[in-house]
Amino acid sequence: MGKVFIIAWREFLAIVATKAFILGLLLPPAIMTLLMFALPLLMNKKPPTVYGHIALIDQSGKVTPRLVDAYDPVKQKERKEQRDKAVKEQVAAGMKSIGLDDKTAGELKKQMDSNPAASQAASILAETNLVLQVLPPETPVDEARQAILKATGREKAEDGHAARLALLVIPKNAVDAEKDENGRPKFGPFQLLTAPRLNVEVQGDIRDQARRAIVDTRLTDAGQDVEQVRALMARPEVEEKAVTASGDSKINAAAKMLVPGAFMFLLWISVFSSGQYLLMSTIEEKSSRVMEVLLSAVSPLQLMLGKIIGKGAVGLLILALFSSAGVAALIFFAMAELIAWENLVLLLVYFVIAYIVVACLMAAIGAAVNDVNEAQALMTPVMLILVVPMMLWFPILNNPNSTFAVVCSFVPLINPFVMVLRICGSEAIPMWQIPVSILVGFITVVVMCWASAKIFRIGVLMYGKPPNFTTLIKWVRMA
Amino acid sequence: MSNAIEIRGVRKTFGPKVAVENLDLHVPEGSLYGFIGPNGAGKSTTIRMIMSIIFPDQGELRVLGKASAVESKDRIGYLPEERGVYKKMKVGVFLNYIARLKGIDAAAADKRVKEWLVRVGLQETYRKKCEELSKGMQQKVQFITSVIHEPDLLILDEVFTGLDPVNRRLMRELIQEQNDRGATIIFSTHAMREAEELCDNIFMIHKGVKVIDSSLEDVWRRYDPKTMVVEPISPADLALGWGALPGARAATEKDNAVEISLHDGADIGELMRQAATLAPVRRLEVKRASLEDIFISIVGSGGGETVEQLRMELAAGKGSTSEELAEVTRG
Repeated sequence: MGKVFIIAWREFLAIVATKAFILGLLLPPAIMTLLMFALPLLMNKKPPTVYGHIALIDQSGKVTPRLVDAYDPVKQKERKEQRDKAVKEQVAAGMKSIGLDDKTAGELKKQMDSNPAASQAASILAETNLVLQVLPPETPVDEARQAILKATGREKAEDGHAARLALLVIPKNAVDAEKDENGRPKFGPFQLLTAPRLNVEVQGDIRDQARRAIVDTRLTDAGQDVEQVRALMARPEVEEKAVTASGDSKINAAAKMLVPGAFMFLLWISVFSSGQYLLMSTIEEKSSRVMEVLLSAVSPLQLMLGKIIGKGAVGLLILALFSSAGVAALIFFAMAELIAWENLVLLLVYFVIAYIVVACLMAAIGAAVNDVNEAQALMTPVMLILVVPMMLWFPILNNPNSTFAVVCSFVPLINPFVMVLRICGSEAIPMWQIPVSILVGFITVVVMCWASAKIFRIGVLMYGKPPNFTTLIKWVRMA
Repeated sequence: MSNAIEIRGVRKTFGPKVAVENLDLHVPEGSLYGFIGPNGAGKSTTIRMIMSIIFPDQGELRVLGKASAVESKDRIGYLPEERGVYKKMKVGVFLNYIARLKGIDAAAADKRVKEWLVRVGLQETYRKKCEELSKGMQQKVQFITSVIHEPDLLILDEVFTGLDPVNRRLMRELIQEQNDRGATIIFSTHAMREAEELCDNIFMIHKGVKVIDSSLEDVWRRYDPKTMVVEPISPADLALGWGALPGARAATEKDNAVEISLHDGADIGELMRQAATLAPVRRLEVKRASLEDIFISIVGSGGGETVEQLRMELAAGKGSTSEELAEVTRG
């Protein structure tokens, strides 16, 4: 066994003690950190104020006063402040919806309020300095719209008010209803013509103000109290909670989907990258002819075992680093309840099963071929099988106890991935399925080890024409 | 004295091709054995069977008194024909790794690695990556991997290929040193000159069948060509009556010398004295057959090939045995 561990240690170091591996591990968090600092700086820049005027042709003759009021400079400023506040509240609500507790979310909101950079980052909305220009109701629309063509939408200074950014045309039937054939009131549309490069936010604001002015006018005409109707129509707030044994949980469905998926992905990545490393190192040993030098000191089985253990340690390191980062993130976001600790142990068990099976395949393929290109041909079917769990993510998570999901849990090769998805999911699965799936995995491991040891032993000393799958099976039978 | 290797009635086939047929071989402990034969003769197959990398279909094989080389791997040094190094690994780290795999503990391993690098003149490569070494330097590093653990049995497959004359001489010295230390040595080569200079026993194989297995002395005695070569100082003397000397059968002129073929039982001493009186000579010797000549005389008569084909086979270094075997196994 001593020699096996000497091999394993070299195989481990050959990957881990390289610049490429260390960079690969450090780069993603480094990029994340950079983005966290760079994004607020970039967003810190305030968007330019929009100058210009909005022309209004009010054919109904009733809406004008309300719109004049809406585009009063003081009212414009108020609206902008309200929108900023709403955005901040939305961000805070978003934090809460992904599981941040009230305290943390409140802290974040306070920080955003006190920190000018943070609050400005949120104020991505453009400030407006717009003037409403009321045209006589009989002004021809074709004539009035000509002025819009001159506007660029990027007027800088106060004299930018000369630019016509938009033209509102409110026909009489938009306010005074005509009767349709059933005698119900029927309102016509109003027109909003804008400069082609008008800020979307501003365009939306003009649309909203016009709508509001028209609706308010209709309500007043019908003898209603506008404020009261608005209060009655307010959308009721909702409080959603999942009832669990450990207390009510406010975690939303998206996070529940994400966590099992993330764990399966983690398993997949660590199994795959270590399998890939194993394939590459076996091919290297063969193509550089160092293989037989090694075989003069150890048996093929010792060599294969050592390689599998060494690269497995690499995979385990990747798994440990990323899953501890993931668990740390979940704890930080107060969502640790999404992970059951016994599931982490099962994750490890399924990693070992999935890794050994994949590693055996890779060792056999690596030993059988002469170079990377030849390996591709043999790798294709293996890859096809192993992308299956990726495609099953949503169907299985949506219904973890469907017949389909249960059957997949006992299919060799993909069952570790499927089981990780299912046990990390929200729905409890029957207890018996876990040991049975592990047993299936264990049998697969034994069969794969046996077959690949035979292929490895013959393959390592074979040079020349690359074998196909039929030949590999022949080798298994032969030895 | 016991035998380091005993092979009895071994046969190995790869698909339809018979690689080794009914092979018997006894390599006594402490001997220096040369395996010779052209490419594809079965040298590497035999060596791989000795190393338990492949297994015979029939027959019995004992290595260092055990049924399999696996049981005494740490006592055997093996330099395979297909050999290489980890390109990205440093020379020192690589040699330490191999030494550890051969059962040497970490502290002793590094000391020996450094000593050996000095011995082969590569001490400055300790911290270099293997890929930075020339082919000849890599070959020496590979040789170190086979002797680092002071094996009792050293098997060297095509050890001289790719070496320049200076390093060939160094390699011969190193092999001789190992033999003097008491190690049994087997080396295979298709360059028969090296075998002539180095080994004391010859094992010659052709198409999987053993054709010679004896000491070099015996080979010389058995394949005595019974020819004397005379090189007179003056070329004018080439035409003298050399063929009329006592015991001479005929004389032919060749490359400024005269080759005199001898009758069986000719008195060599008397002949030499007489020849020396005939004319002043630069060289006067009883010719010894080269292994190449012997090999061709043995297999040339039986096989379908012409003598020229055989000579070319021996001279050519292309096409490794394992590639052929691989093809056959796959078919």
